[in-house]
Amino acid sequence: FILMLSLALGTMITITSNHWVTAWAGLEINTLAIIPLISKSHHPRAIEAATKYFLTQATASALMLFSSMTNAWSSGQWDITQLTNPPSCLLLTAAIAIKLGLTPFHFWFPEVLQGSSLITALLLSTAMKFPPTTILLLTSHSLNPTLLSTMAIMSIALGGWMGLNQTQTRKILAFSSISHLGWMTIIITYNPKLTLLTFYLYSLMTTSIFLSMNSTNTLKLSTLMTSWTKAPMLNTTLMLTLLSLAGLPPLTGFLPKWLIIQELTKQEMTTTATIISMLSLLGLFFYLRLTYCSTITLPPNSSNKMKQWSIKKPVNTLTPTL
Amino acid sequence: FSWSSLGLAFHRTHLISSLLCLESIILSIYIALSIWPIKNQTSATLMQILILAFSACEASAGLAILIASTQTHVSDHLRNLNLLQC
Repeated sequence: FILMLSLALGTMITITSNHWVTAWAGLEINTLAIIPLISKSHHPRAIEAATKYFLTQATASALMLFSSMTNAWSSGQWDITQLTNPPSCLLLTAAIAIKLGLTPFHFWFPEVLQGSSLITALLLSTAMKFPPTTILLLTSHSLNPTLLSTMAIMSIALGGWMGLNQTQTRKILAFSSISHLGWMTIIITYNPKLTLLTFYLYSLMTTSIFLSMNSTNTLKLSTLMTSWTKAPMLNTTLMLTLLSLAGLPPLTGFLPKWLIIQELTKQEMTTTATIISMLSLLGLFFYLRLTYCSTITLPPNSSNKMKQWSIKKPVNTLTPTL
Repeated sequence: FSWSSLGLAFHRTHLISSLLCLESIILSIYIALSIWPIKNQTSATLMQILILAFSACEASAGLAILIASTQTHVSDHLRNLNLLQC
């Protein structure tokens, strides 16, 4: 399948680049490859999601190119790890924030996830986040830490707040990914390895959630309530995975939060640590609501033994309990 | 560059105008990048061709999306893109 291959190619190009133009080229290849994936179904919602995605990502790429150009004007070189010009650093953080979906520029993300099918939404939220995070990691020592941490705190807050009233599961997962991105960026100037760890664990957990929701085809909260009839084992693993995504202590999702809070208190930023742990309580509310809806409640007219087609990957959902 | 980025940020109706603004952004970057080696006596022509190729691909993808959105939604106006409600 050519589009997946070109996605992998674009990601590889961006990761292994030390020149700005190759990074930009890899990002554009990724954008171009995902757009037909989003708009494959010819539904009006999908095409609208594709237009929004394309517009935002294209502006972010152009901004990135412009910031690298101004940096090259002032310092004479195109290396990624050396950014000397402060306005170009600012533009670059704005461009990466648009691409990732951090808070001042997160408005495209829930609608794009809502308009795409579950597997492309999975690709959008895990694989497409990977190249901009690598660029952030490469340039993190020369970016503005206060700006990054304010954006991170705002994105954790917004991810928690706006996820509270949602009934569509894709939008809920969009807001959860926004808040997880906030957790990732808050630590990036102090300990970039923790950012990578958070990213890997987050991508593992969201792939398992998306795949389990894909096999039961749940798009709304009401569909979640009847999913226990189809495959009960999958339902319990889905519940555990959701709780791990929320960050409850015995499960794996607590590990990055714990390490991040530890690192922040080492850097004497205890107020930010308490603020972000309070704000993750907001996210905990809708994770709990999802688990409550999927496991404990019974639908009004309960129908046992509604067999659907077989589950694709139940193994993947057991890994967050490791 | 800043003029066309402002135009992109404040587009009112018609998706076509936002695509035009995107193209003018990339064009301004291209012109600026081709002026720079002449001033500094370095050569950066491979970079220019690569940028041009990718921006052409992006423009064609944008046009394809425009056609698809005109097929499913009735017109081009930005007010019609409200199916994905918050």
